[in-house]
Amino acid sequence: MSLKDKYAIVGIGYTPQGKVPARTSLSFHLEACVNAIADAGLKKNDIDGLICYRHFPASSDENDLTPFVVAEHLGIEPKYIYQDANCSRSHLQNAVSALDSGFCNYVLISFGHNARSSDSLLTMLNEFTGDDAVFGHFGATGGYALAAQRAMYEYHTGPETWKHIVVGQRKWACLNPDAIMHGKPLTFEDYLNYKWFVEPFRLPDNCLLNDGGRAVIVTSLERARDLRNPPAVIMGIGAHNLSTDIKYSTSMTGPTGAKKASEDAFKMAGITIKDVDACEIYDCFTYTVEITLQDYGFFGPGEGEDWFKGGTIEPGGRMPVNTSGGLLSEAYYMGLTPLSEAAMQIMGRCEQRQLGPQTNTKNPEIILCSDNGAILQSHLCYILRRL
Amino acid sequence: MSYNKPLPKINSDVKPFWDGCKNRELKFQKCQACGHVRWPASIICPKCYKKETEWVIAGGHGTIYTYAVYHTAYHAGFANEIPYVVAIVELDEGPHLLTNIIDCNHQEIKCGMDVTVAWDDVTPEITLPKFKPCR
Repeated sequence: MSLKDKYAIVGIGYTPQGKVPARTSLSFHLEACVNAIADAGLKKNDIDGLICYRHFPASSDENDLTPFVVAEHLGIEPKYIYQDANCSRSHLQNAVSALDSGFCNYVLISFGHNARSSDSLLTMLNEFTGDDAVFGHFGATGGYALAAQRAMYEYHTGPETWKHIVVGQRKWACLNPDAIMHGKPLTFEDYLNYKWFVEPFRLPDNCLLNDGGRAVIVTSLERARDLRNPPAVIMGIGAHNLSTDIKYSTSMTGPTGAKKASEDAFKMAGITIKDVDACEIYDCFTYTVEITLQDYGFFGPGEGEDWFKGGTIEPGGRMPVNTSGGLLSEAYYMGLTPLSEAAMQIMGRCEQRQLGPQTNTKNPEIILCSDNGAILQSHLCYILRRL
Repeated sequence: MSYNKPLPKINSDVKPFWDGCKNRELKFQKCQACGHVRWPASIICPKCYKKETEWVIAGGHGTIYTYAVYHTAYHAGFANEIPYVVAIVELDEGPHLLTNIIDCNHQEIKCGMDVTVAWDDVTPEITLPKFKPCR
C-alpha cells in the first residue's frame, strides 16, 4: 500500500547556532531533541524511535557520540534506533519504514555538532580522506568542484549561474533572524569578488560550518491530528543511491540520483512539478542546487542561468528555494535544514520569511525537498503538503 | 627534508598497482572473462562477477575528465603547492584515476586535454602517477 499521506512531521527543535563555543555535540543533540518533543506537544516516553544523522569522529575533548548516548541522556528506551556512518541519506525513509512496519509510533530524528568550535571535522578530514589525500584531494568541496567543473565543460554552467543561488538564498536568510548570515546581504559583485577557494568554487558556494543542532519528529497522520501543530504531511518519497565515488562517476553532471528519486516521489504523490509551490533543496554547494533542480525537471542542462535569472528563487520569486537561507546561509544540519524549514513553512510558522502573501509568493500547499549525501552518491527526494 | 604529504595505503588489493608505479608501469586489472579493465582494484569484476584477472600495463595516456584547482591547503604538506591541480584522468584503457596535473599553468588546463603519465618518486618506496599535458 502506498505511503502517500500516511506520515507527517509534527515537531521541530532548534538550538542556538553559529559560533557557539564551549558546547559539546551531545549538548546540541539533546537541546534540539528536547525542543522538538516539546514543540510537538509530546512527552519523552512517547518517543519510541531515534535516528541520528551521520556519525562524526569525536572531537578531542568529547567521547564517541552514538544514538545510545543521546537516548541515555534523554532518558528514553527506543524500540528503533539507527545512525548512518557514511552519509547515505536514508533517515526519512527509515523513519517512515519503522513507523509503517509498526515497530514504533513517534520517531525523533536528530543532528548535533560543534563543527565550528571543535576539531571534529579536522579529524574527519585527516583520518577519513583515504588515498585521495595522497594527491591533496580533501573533503567535499574538492569533490563537488570536480563535478561542477565537468558541468561547466559539458553545458557551460558556472559562477554566472551559481551567483543567483548564492544571492537568492542570502535574501531569504536576511528575512530569518536566526540565520547565521542574517543581516549580511550579498550582491552578485560581492560574490564574484571573492577569491577562488577550490576553483570553480568561491567561499560563498560552500555551505556554512557551524555549531548547533536540529531535530524533527515524524509520526502517523492519524496521531498527528491530535497534536498541537498543523502536520506537514509526507505526500511522496523516493531515493536513489548511485553510490559510485566521484573519482569513477560518469553521472556527476546528471542524471544524478535526483532523477529517479524524484520520479518515485512524484509518482507516489500523484503530482508533477507544476503543482510545486516552493523547494527546500539540499545545498551543500551551489552546484548541488543547480543539478538537483535540473534533474527534477525544472530546466534542461545549461538552461539553469536563464531559469534562475530575475529572482526566480528569491522572496517574491515564482519558485522560492531554500527559504531559511539553507545550508549556504542559514545553518548546516545536513538534511534537517531543508526538512525542518519545509515543515515550518507548511505549518505557517515562518514569520517574516513565511511563504504566501507575506513574501509575495505562492501559498505553500506543496513543497518539494531533497537530501543528498557524500559526493552526489545518495539522494532522497520527498514532498510535503498541507492537510 | 622528509616527505610530509600523506602516502597511499598499501593492501593486497592495490599492492600490484603500487609495485607497478615503482617500476614506472601503470597497471590495472583486466577481467579474463569479459575483458573489462577496472580501477579501483577488486577481487571481482563489477561487470561479470568473475574472479579471473590479469594485471595489464596501460599506455599512460588519457584525457582530463575533470579537475579542481586548490587555492586552499587542507593539509600542511600542500601549503607551498597552492594553487595546485587535482584531476580525474580518463585513461585510454577506460579507468578513471585521481591524480595531479603538473608541469602546466593551471589556467591552461581544460577538460578533454590530452595528458601523459609523469612519474614522481616521492619516497624510496612510493612513486606517484601524476600527469602532464602532451606536447
